[in-house]
Amino acid sequence: MTNTATIMNSQRTISTSRFGTIAIDDDKIINMTSPFLGFPDDKEFILLPHAPNSPFWWLQSINNPELAFVVIQPALLEVSYRPKISINIQQELQISNELDQEVLIILTIPQGHPEQMTANLLGPVVINTSKKLAKQVLLDPARYNPCQPVGTAK
Amino acid sequence: MLILTRKVGESIAIGDEIKVKLLEIKGGQIKLGIEAPGQIPVHREEVFERIIEENKRAAQDIGSDLSHAANFISKRDNL
Repeated sequence: MTNTATIMNSQRTISTSRFGTIAIDDDKIINMTSPFLGFPDDKEFILLPHAPNSPFWWLQSINNPELAFVVIQPALLEVSYRPKISINIQQELQISNELDQEVLIILTIPQGHPEQMTANLLGPVVINTSKKLAKQVLLDPARYNPCQPVGTAK
Repeated sequence: MLILTRKVGESIAIGDEIKVKLLEIKGGQIKLGIEAPGQIPVHREEVFERIIEENKRAAQDIGSDLSHAANFISKRDNL
């Protein structure tokens, strides 16, 4: 007996307010070990590239069509940023090899004023890319700005 | 809300792993010492609130086309 569900296995469709209905692979789903502050019900996300050659990614909630963050690799910003991720956080994310650890920065882009975009350097997202576990980490507020201006025109 | 009175040098235990000790009272400020397991984040409340506020601002829908915003990322050529 053929079971189409198993043939199609590990895919699902989710609805999103920005991208419509999209099909995603279950193994790409990122589980939050603790939710984003202010969004306690959103525990699963997926990283979607914004566009070819774009510096941005979307971190889209699986459960909430309207919730998505714009994220960027810190190396693409005009800031030197190598925060130390504590051993406790690495344990929570089951990071045993630093190659599995990726840090992404959430951007705030004001509607109609991209030049005023800011980067949340205080609360980066740390991801275990092999186990697909993530967490927003709070760093030292004396050192890191939650809304660092980063929109530099060329 | 549970309200407890403590003197300098005395502590409050929260569960069996968290201790909050009153270290000093000076000029309307008190200094607290907090002992908690490493996996329990301890921050001033306003730091949490600042992150909540920034997360909510970041989550506002600005549409799906960010190509204009991408022009303001000067290192994008490194991609």
